[in-house]
Amino acid sequence: MNARRRTARILAFALLAALAGPLIHGVLQLPAPGSADAPAHANVTANYVERGAESGGAENLVTGVLLNFRALDTFGEVIVIFTAWLAAAAVAGAVSETGRRAIPVSPVVDYVIRALGPFIAAFALFVIVNGHVLPGGGFQGGVVLGAMLILLSLVLGPAPVAGAFSARHWAWLRATGVLVFAATAVIGLALTGHLFGLPAEPVLRKSLMIVLELGIGIGGGAVLAGLFFAVSGVQRS
Amino acid sequence: MNILATALGHVDYLVAVALFLIGAWILVTSGNLVKKVIGLNVMETSVFAFIVTTGMIDGGAPPLVVEGMEGPYASPLPHALVLTGIVVAVSITSLALVLILRVKSQFGSIELDEIVPTDEARGDADSDAVGGDDD
Repeated sequence: MNARRRTARILAFALLAALAGPLIHGVLQLPAPGSADAPAHANVTANYVERGAESGGAENLVTGVLLNFRALDTFGEVIVIFTAWLAAAAVAGAVSETGRRAIPVSPVVDYVIRALGPFIAAFALFVIVNGHVLPGGGFQGGVVLGAMLILLSLVLGPAPVAGAFSARHWAWLRATGVLVFAATAVIGLALTGHLFGLPAEPVLRKSLMIVLELGIGIGGGAVLAGLFFAVSGVQRS
Repeated sequence: MNILATALGHVDYLVAVALFLIGAWILVTSGNLVKKVIGLNVMETSVFAFIVTTGMIDGGAPPLVVEGMEGPYASPLPHALVLTGIVVAVSITSLALVLILRVKSQFGSIELDEIVPTDEARGDADSDAVGGDDD
């Protein structure tokens, strides 16, 4: 270790030690974790817990917060991950093809993952469409879906998975979350007079929420797979 | 003794602070770009753990208002916020990794020392040439 690097380490240690003091002090001032008087249980949250299931339209309060109370926030989130894929694909397009090779896997792993694929996809769908009652939802199911696509492309090689759709169709799939969310925002405006508003009629509201979750799930899964393809250099656009 | 009891009661938060500092240490001191991304992820995870912990409640149930789930419920708001945070973290990580690939293809290395050679590193190279090794 040369002298310059050692100095840098000493400086970094001093900086972090100086940072640790206020952090620990501040954290100790908070109410103990798990106590009912923590700020996270007061104000707006108490309201969510009390009336969220009814006015949010989902028994799962987290889904209610995501799709209803903080829908604008979630819309931004969907746009962020879609933009991340756009940027990653744009940068990856400029990366030259060097030092990438397929790593052969054992036949056992190959067979097990092929056999598991449909079950993982079914589980992802289950998590997505039950997001308003059970833990789960669009993002969680989308991540499972994306993980399945990544797992398959690790075993079969990315080319067959990426080749399942044309690049143009992949792009539309990845935009699903953004498009469906924007569509429901406008539908909400037409039905309730509020952007992102969900109609009070229970069946309509529930089906709209499931469509929203499906859009987020499919879009999220396709974006995750797309990020993987961008890093592994299969898909250039 | 009193402060020890407080610290013990807040051990969940203290673990988050420790993880944050570990992540920051990796981020600052490591010269390898991939390790920097890993450090950033450790920091992000510590923040998520902290925020989720603030929402928990002793003896509480998951915030699912269905039969068989009785209050007090854990706070749903931190969960929703952290979900947003995780999506942003994934976006940052993937973009950083692709940029690192670009750096690798441009400079042939992901070590900061080799990409931006310092004066001393050049000095090291010179001394290496004459057979010295000061590392």
